[in-house]
Formats: sequence, structure tokens, C-alpha cells
Amino acid sequence: MSPGSDAWLFAVSLGASALGGALGMASGIFIVPILTLFGGVGIRAAVAASLVSVIACSCGSAAPFLRGGLTNIRVAIVLETATTLGALSGVGLAGMLPASALFALFAAILLLSARQMLARRADMTAVADGAEARDWASALRLHSCYRDQASGREVAYRVRRLPLGLALMYGAGLISALLGIGSGVLKIPAMDTALRLPIKVSSATSNFMIGVTAAASAGAYFARGDVDPAIAGPVALGSVLGALLGARLLMAVSGERLRLLFVVVLLALAVQMLLLACGIHLTGHAA
Amino acid sequence: MTADFVRHPRLERLLARVLRSGTWLASGVIALGLALPVIDWPGIPPALTSPRIITAGIALLIFLPVLRVVLMLIVFFREGDYRFGAIATLVLVIIVLGAALGMHEVGSLPG
Repeated sequence: MSPGSDAWLFAVSLGASALGGALGMASGIFIVPILTLFGGVGIRAAVAASLVSVIACSCGSAAPFLRGGLTNIRVAIVLETATTLGALSGVGLAGMLPASALFALFAAILLLSARQMLARRADMTAVADGAEARDWASALRLHSCYRDQASGREVAYRVRRLPLGLALMYGAGLISALLGIGSGVLKIPAMDTALRLPIKVSSATSNFMIGVTAAASAGAYFARGDVDPAIAGPVALGSVLGALLGARLLMAVSGERLRLLFVVVLLALAVQMLLLACGIHLTGHAA
Repeated sequence: MTADFVRHPRLERLLARVLRSGTWLASGVIALGLALPVIDWPGIPPALTSPRIITAGIALLIFLPVLRVVLMLIVFFREGDYRFGAIATLVLVIIVLGAALGMHEVGSLPG
């Protein structure tokens, strides 16, 4: 199984996506570094292929969240105006930035993800206290409720600070298109900290939005002819199956060890991407 | 107060069904394209080459979230929720604009 072959691409994507899925992360953050560092794939082709797999993971895993009533589709469509605009800006910017800048930016996002993995997400939900607020979120009737599996109760929540959320989402869309990642690393702080959504709702809604965000940029790359079927095909297929596997693993494996392993992998990839940004290749493949 | 909380259970179930079956369909097409050189079926038209089938599967996959926005658009307008219908339309316009700009760029490239 030589690096870059169909079987290699498929296996690598399957592994990356299973590992990512087991921690509730999209696979893109692994796929681009692995393809560029070990597969000898150029960063632009890797980004385009990764975006296709990000769509596959988002669409493939959306159903249970939707059926469980966790996805807030009203919040999603409102924020998608910002993420898709950001994605278009990213596609435009990608053509202007040199590959070394993309590698450096990717390393920064990997480090940020490692830090976020170590810090626990705190629930900062704004409880629906019945206070009549005159803000955007109320005008758009974004507040909602979901049934908590553990307690079986309906949990009502209010959405806060929509303008800040929209601004952060624009940034998330831009980074997603530039680097071929779902950029949950930026969406999660936007949803938790700015909008104050419950963690389960923000995870489900972020996952739902990632597909449309990636479709905006992947559509543009596809129209431009940047999507190479020989790379994107096996990567997408491996990611779909890996995401299914990862969701099963999520139930079975203890979170703490996996989380540490994850942090180590992210740091190692960040160092290598930084070296690539400086033009140093450790693995012998030209990027 | 609960009247304030808007949910769309029917739309949510519809989207869940469409996204799930769409992912399987697109994955199946990609898998078929990848398997084609290996199994070498007789009777397959020569126009259906492996890269073309894979590309069709990828196009299906990219189209899936767009279809999801279209479905939301239709349901919002049908429910008389014109504001959200308009928001969904805006998202759709941005996505289509991106693809159009991508194509335009190809056309303007020298050679």
C-alpha cells in the first residue's frame, strides 16, 4: 500500500475520521496534514479533497441529531449566511496566499485545537427566564428547547449576542475554505461563548452547518476544477465509513486517554506543518 | 412563554432522511467508480470511466447540503415564514455565486 494510492488514501481517511469521530471532531484537521506530509499531495488538492470529506461526515452524521431535536435549524440557517460568505472570501484568498502561509495558518489552528481539547467546555447556557429581551435573536425567534436524554426533561434555552456569533462564524467559514477543515475549533467558541447555546445543541448545530459551509467552498473549488477525483473519491469514502466507526467508538472508549492521545497527535502535526511552512521536509515528499 | 420556542419536527425528520439516504447514494456511486478498474464489468459503456463516475459521486455529495437549503427554503415559505424563507434564499444565492465565480475564474485563466 504505497502512499498516495487509492487504498492508502482510503485507509488513512478511515482512520483519521474514526479517531476524529470518536472525539466528536471533523476529520479534516487530520486529513490535510496527513495528505500533505505523508501522501505527497499538494496543499491545494488536499484542501479540496478534505472539504468533500467534511461534507460527507456532516451529512452522514446529521440524522440522529435532527431526530433527537438537538439541531437548531433556525440558528443554523441564520449563521450560515455568515459562514458561506466567509467561505467565499476564503476561496478567493486561497488563490492569493502562498502555500507556506497556508501551512503556518494550519499549524496555528492545530495548536488552538490542542489547547481547546485540554480545556473542558463549560455549559454557559442562558436559562429561559421569561425576561422579554428586545434583541435580534428574539426578533428572529431563535430560542428553542430540546429533550435531555439523561433527565428526560425539556430544556429551554435563549440565544444571546447574535451579531458577535455572526462575526465569529464569518471567520470560521473563511478558515474552513482556506484549510479544508470543518473548523469546529472556531464554531464551538462562537456557539458556546457568544450565543450561549447548551453544549449538545451547539455540537449538533455546528455539525449541521459544516456541510453547507464546506459545500459553498467545495462548490467553488469543484467549478474551478481543483477537486481531483483520484484523491477526493477514496478520501470521501474512507471518511464516511470512518465517521460511522468513530460514532460507535465514542460510546465504547474512555474519553480521557483518547483526549490526551489526540493532543499529542495535534501537537506533532503542528510542528511538522510549521517545518513545512519554513520549507523543511522531514518525510521526503515535496508538498 | 413556550409559544416563543419555534420547532420544526416534520422538517427536521425530512432533512434527516434526505441527508442520510443522500450520503449513502453518493458514497455508493464513489465506491462504484473506485471499484470499476478492479472488477472490470462487461457491458459498461466506455463513456462511464472510473474518474467520471467518482466525479459524479463527488458532485452529488457537494449538492447534498445545497439540496438541504432548498428544502428548508420551500418549507419556510410554505409555512408562511417569509423572513426565514428569505434567509435560506440568501444562503443559496451565496453558494451559487461561489460556484459561478469559480467557473468564471476557469474561463478567464490563460491557456
